[in-house]
Amino acid sequence: MKTLIITGTRKGLGRSLAEYYLKAGWQVAGCSRSPSDLSHASYRHFELDVADEKAVVEMVAAVDQQMGPIYGLVNNAGVASMNHALLTPLSTLKRIFDTNVSGSFLFAREVAKRMSRRRSGGRIINFSTVAHPLDLEGESAYAASKAAVESFTRILARELASMQITVNAVGPTPIDTDLIRGVPAAKMEALLTRQAIQRKGQIEDVINVLEFFLREESSFITGQTIYLGGVH
Amino acid sequence: MNQTKNSRVETLVLETVKQLAIDFELKGLEVPRRESLLYGDGGALDSMALVNLLADLEAGVEDAFGVSITLADERALSAARSPFRSVESLVEAISERLEG
Repeated sequence: MKTLIITGTRKGLGRSLAEYYLKAGWQVAGCSRSPSDLSHASYRHFELDVADEKAVVEMVAAVDQQMGPIYGLVNNAGVASMNHALLTPLSTLKRIFDTNVSGSFLFAREVAKRMSRRRSGGRIINFSTVAHPLDLEGESAYAASKAAVESFTRILARELASMQITVNAVGPTPIDTDLIRGVPAAKMEALLTRQAIQRKGQIEDVINVLEFFLREESSFITGQTIYLGGVH
Repeated sequence: MNQTKNSRVETLVLETVKQLAIDFELKGLEVPRRESLLYGDGGALDSMALVNLLADLEAGVEDAFGVSITLADERALSAARSPFRSVESLVEAISERLEG
């Protein structure tokens, strides 16, 4: 039974991913800032802020020791904020970078240390967004944070290659979750017209890419970002 | 830090370096000693081997002492003398962090 860490599992996409992999027979460790009502024999939940270094170090150590070797990490936890740059407070920018960049960095670093020590290799998957390649107005802080995640993904892929750890990213289109609640319908419509396939994404679309990255056979795939919907 | 704890740290570092030397086929570190040079001038480790050693040591410290430490922290990176220079300096760095 393989072990997977998925961040941001209390609700939305992260919750669905945790349920999917539990059903598929994986052991899953998840986290969020508040408690989760997800109950399953193979699931363990940790309450933490993904940008809290000490808490992340302790969670990854606990998972490694109590749930066996960590095979994969899915850095799903993320926050967005849609606003014109001139109306965006610094505190919002910092909050977005803390969760999206620092959180992904800390989890990747700690999980890679464990994989390195066990000489077991593994899979790290980060989350980007089509907002970055599409240069969406109103999403400067969010898209910039994901641009950082993509750069981190590519460089980490090189740094961890000799440890047989692959590092990739998936860039979803809008999916109906809390992340895009509050985006005006006209703006959403305009965004969709810029995709080759003009529909919102489904959770299954994201899972399909994760499955590809997680497969043992994908050991030669690293440093890649796959966008959904025909965006590049 | 008391003597027993200090010698436990030294044993841990020596054993971890020894295992790393086997895994990475590092010449000259098969039988490490307290004064063995690790990283930098005259050291046997390249940067990847050092990364692996630090990861191994952090996990080893946690197993042995039940404490999570980070060796490559701000203190280490700004120190005038690198704590990764030798077995001895690593023992010192770990002991300092265990003392908090």
